[in-house]
Amino acid sequence: MGEKLLIVDDENDVREWAAKFFRKRKIEVLTASNGEDAIDIVNKDRPAAMLLDITMEGIDGIETLRRVREVDKDIKVVMVTGSEDKDAMNQTRELGAYDYIHKPLKMSELESVVLKIFEKEKNEKKD
Amino acid sequence: MGVGIWCFGCYLLLVSQNKIQAVFASRILQFGSIPIPILQLHFAYLFIDISKKRRGLLYAGYVLTFILLISDLFTPFFIRDVSPNLYFLFFPVAGPLYHIFTIIYFGVSFYWIYLLTKSIPSLSPLKRNQAKYVAIASVIGIIGGGSTFFLIYNIPFPPFPALLVALYPLIISYAILKYRLMDIRLVITRVSIFVAVYTFVLGIPFVLAFWLKPWLSAVVGFYWWMLPLGMMGLFATIGPFVYIYLDKKTEERLFKRQRRYQNTLKQASLGMSRIRDLDKLLKLVVHIVSRSVRINYAGIYLEDKENNIYNLKASRGELNKPALSLSPDNLMVKQLIAGKETLFLDEIKSRMMDAPDLESLKLEMAALGATVVVPSLIEGRLLGFMVLGDKCSGEIYTKDDMEVFTVLANQAALAIENARFFAESKEMQEQISQAEKMATIGTMADGLSHQINNRFHALSLISGDVLDSISLADTANYNDEQKELLGEIKYGLERIQDNVIQGGEVVKGMLKYTRKGDAGFGQVSLDEIIDATLDMVKYKIKLSEIDIIRDYPKDIPKVKGNLTQLQEVFFNLIDNAYDAAMERKQAFKEPGYRARIKITTEYNNNGVLKIDLEDNGIGVKEEDYKKLFTPFFTTKVSSRKPGGGGLASDSQSRKGTGLGLYVIKKIVADNHKGKINVLSRYRQGTRFKLELPVAWAIG
Repeated sequence: MGEKLLIVDDENDVREWAAKFFRKRKIEVLTASNGEDAIDIVNKDRPAAMLLDITMEGIDGIETLRRVREVDKDIKVVMVTGSEDKDAMNQTRELGAYDYIHKPLKMSELESVVLKIFEKEKNEKKD
Repeated sequence: MGVGIWCFGCYLLLVSQNKIQAVFASRILQFGSIPIPILQLHFAYLFIDISKKRRGLLYAGYVLTFILLISDLFTPFFIRDVSPNLYFLFFPVAGPLYHIFTIIYFGVSFYWIYLLTKSIPSLSPLKRNQAKYVAIASVIGIIGGGSTFFLIYNIPFPPFPALLVALYPLIISYAILKYRLMDIRLVITRVSIFVAVYTFVLGIPFVLAFWLKPWLSAVVGFYWWMLPLGMMGLFATIGPFVYIYLDKKTEERLFKRQRRYQNTLKQASLGMSRIRDLDKLLKLVVHIVSRSVRINYAGIYLEDKENNIYNLKASRGELNKPALSLSPDNLMVKQLIAGKETLFLDEIKSRMMDAPDLESLKLEMAALGATVVVPSLIEGRLLGFMVLGDKCSGEIYTKDDMEVFTVLANQAALAIENARFFAESKEMQEQISQAEKMATIGTMADGLSHQINNRFHALSLISGDVLDSISLADTANYNDEQKELLGEIKYGLERIQDNVIQGGEVVKGMLKYTRKGDAGFGQVSLDEIIDATLDMVKYKIKLSEIDIIRDYPKDIPKVKGNLTQLQEVFFNLIDNAYDAAMERKQAFKEPGYRARIKITTEYNNNGVLKIDLEDNGIGVKEEDYKKLFTPFFTTKVSSRKPGGGGLASDSQSRKGTGLGLYVIKKIVADNHKGKINVLSRYRQGTRFKLELPVAWAIG
């Protein structure tokens, strides 16, 4: 199938369990524990989508998104946000964030948002 | 005094039967008139307050007067003889010293009138009135007294105007009573002591001379009169000292209590500046004044700068209904601001013929229970005033009292400023430390809630994924026991997920208060504000009991504002409206009544969005609603029944702090440069009218 999902989060558990969830659904999952690693992976592996935590140590999700946009304009980025911070929402929207998931996530929400991306990708490829 | 002796002399002169008696009478007459110029001069200096500077001149004057007195009584140099003159059988014939007296009399008289008229413009209004009386009295006295000189110099002008002299003491006495030249008791006491001392001092030689003349002439010979004269000289020298001593003693006795409380007040006024608690200070002042002076009522009114009103802050004693606050338009307050002087009820009463508009001032003072009103001034500004009732003893207030009260009032003004400054700086300190505390808690809560949220996030993910695995698992080969166990695990994980989601909501609520960027201003839509407010207010009131109707178009402009602060504004308004509705519901039990808040807007392309928030609650009575925005004003009674509110803290009977609307006004007017007004009608509802600048208008 070849479509890759990149999960960026500084929490070990989050990366591990989210990855497990999507691998069960036959999606190839890459993980990064910080923004810099994430950018490297985007450069190297060109994932189709990424789950990006906004609040991280080092460069945060907003900055990571900005830099990712410099190398890949098409990647679908789902922001994972812990607060209702409107400023952050506005900034990431301007940077072309695809969708939002609020912490603590609901599994159904995660599933539908991400799988929707891959269904679409699949359909686009088919056409 | 002098005038009295003079009159007595006149009488003696008129009834004199023979020449010797007439000479004697003339001398008595002159004995009275000789001290008049010097006493008048002394009085003049005292009156315009320069007696200390002219002490030398006064002393010389008294010595000269004494010489003239002695020469009048015992030598022929003053009154040589008596002779028939005009209608008079006997009339004094002047000796050489008499001419000196004539010059002094007229000189001093004209000098006195000159001094008085010159000083009138610089005197205080009260003294100016006194001066008028004194001037009139003096002119009459001088004309009357002066008329007697004509006959002595053989000018045939009858001395009838002399009768006018009798008016002099009358007018002065009237002025004393009316304008408090001196305490009347003091006048009486002094005069009596003076008469007693001098009757004794000068009487003994006379008696001696009269009764012992034969015996003395026999023993001492022709110069027998030297003995009484010597005695008189001696006594006259001692006299003033005896007089001064007795005067002091009796005065001490007479005014013992008064002096004592005056001292107490002076002491108290010095200690006052050390008291930093304003209320305590005011209570103390009232206490000291009413206790030490023993007056039936004392009250202090203090300026409330923000509302431009004078409030009764402390009072003591019985008064039926003291006015709790007075506006600067009040006639009496106006008078204090303009005159910067103590007001006397008595004076106003007696001055009323001069200015009839003082009638209402008098009524106002009487209504306040004021016999005296003492202003407290700082740099010419009326900081407050002290209202004093009558003394319990029935005595009147004296000039000395006034001086003490003035000192006290001025000291009190300083102390009040002091205490106010202290309270303000203390309050500011508290606010700063409170703000610091909140900022620290805010930062902490921000970090904490993110941490907690991340844990919830991981928990949700883990439990969710395990649940997912379970639902994907092929359980066809599992036995019943295994299936049951799996079911249990599934249920447990679902419970964990539910709890995590709920915990997440709590954290979300917390984050709302600590959200970054709240210090700044941005574009905020009315919907956003109201949504955020309802989110918060739902914990406090039951939203199911009230309809909140948003009756405004979708395309209204956003306002320039701070969401959190505006949220606070709407929170208070909606909370108040709810309370008002519940109060109406409970008070009138109208069938079919349902609480309603209607929010409407108006925008006229002028950069200002008008927002009206109208409720159908109990409303505010007219007398109250002007005061709605003053701090600590509240009409809220315990309007919510125990348990009626949403949160536990509401289960206690609730009473407004009176700070809500005050804070709202600060936020709207000061922080947002907007406006807030209120219209209300009792039993109909309240409408708050807000005006907020729209986002583009201030760049």
